[in-house]
Amino acid sequence: MILYTPLSHQEIFPEAQGAENEIQAVEWQGRTVFVSKNKDGYYQINQLISSNPNDYLNPDFLPGRIIS
Amino acid sequence: MRMDTDDNNENQGEEENQQNASALVEKIQQLGQANVPQAPDSNIHVLSIIGQVEGHLQLPPQNKTTKYEHLLPQLIAVEQNPKIEGLIILLNTVGGDVEAGLALAEMIASMSKPTTSIVLGGGHSIGAPIAVATDYSFIVPTATMTIHPVRLTGLVIGVPQTFEYLDKMQERVIQFIVDHSHVESEQLKELMFAKGNLTRDIGTNVVGKEAVDYGLIDEVGGVKEAIQKLNHMIQSAKTEEGGTAS
Repeated sequence: MILYTPLSHQEIFPEAQGAENEIQAVEWQGRTVFVSKNKDGYYQINQLISSNPNDYLNPDFLPGRIIS
Repeated sequence: MRMDTDDNNENQGEEENQQNASALVEKIQQLGQANVPQAPDSNIHVLSIIGQVEGHLQLPPQNKTTKYEHLLPQLIAVEQNPKIEGLIILLNTVGGDVEAGLALAEMIASMSKPTTSIVLGGGHSIGAPIAVATDYSFIVPTATMTIHPVRLTGLVIGVPQTFEYLDKMQERVIQFIVDHSHVESEQLKELMFAKGNLTRDIGTNVVGKEAVDYGLIDEVGGVKEAIQKLNHMIQSAKTEEGGTAS
């Protein structure tokens, strides 16, 4: 694999990797969203993947929304 | 009798108000923001390419990435959906995987629907072919594009073939940019191998208008210009279609 970027290798692949909040992609109401588990064990939306600009106005997909 | 019904109505009203208030509080807790207005269906779709372009390898979680496997199906969906008439690509990327970037660029370039791109902030490295892949490209005056040679990361075998391989990779990128923009191959290579422009590196940082002067990007502009151009292209595509049909 060749990375074509002005960033250095260390910036992309840091040596010490902390236990980061795992982010996973899930289907939610027919759209792909990235979610992470919060402290209470619920999934919270991080990011919406959609090309439709109106999806970003839909309160169901707002980042921070807790989904079950 | 009348008083009674009025009372009931009032109670119902209060309950509704309370429910609305609690929903609002929930929303503000989640995002720190109240409701946003709803708009009618848009005939223009948007793809934002942000952070690293992620390809064959899953990058560590602190990288902000755009995964190409998410974008490719969306491009097909945009191409197929008759309600979508145009596509805008928003770019603020530091580059990333060569093959994933080229895959995205080729997909965008081969779409039949009108496309425009806006380079915001940065469209570095592999962001350049993605930016020029659209029918018409814009760059905001403050955005920059870093044009530099492709580098090898990871295990490098010290044989001449390694250089040839790298040169081939680079040629793919250069060829694509030259084919889809007004920049000359010689000019692009000159920018790519320039010394003294970047600290500790070879290459050139082109800012806003410079990118247009070199012929890399079509025009300096932002959202207004990009939407205008897209609407214009959609209109002319429609009249062309009407012309061939009749």
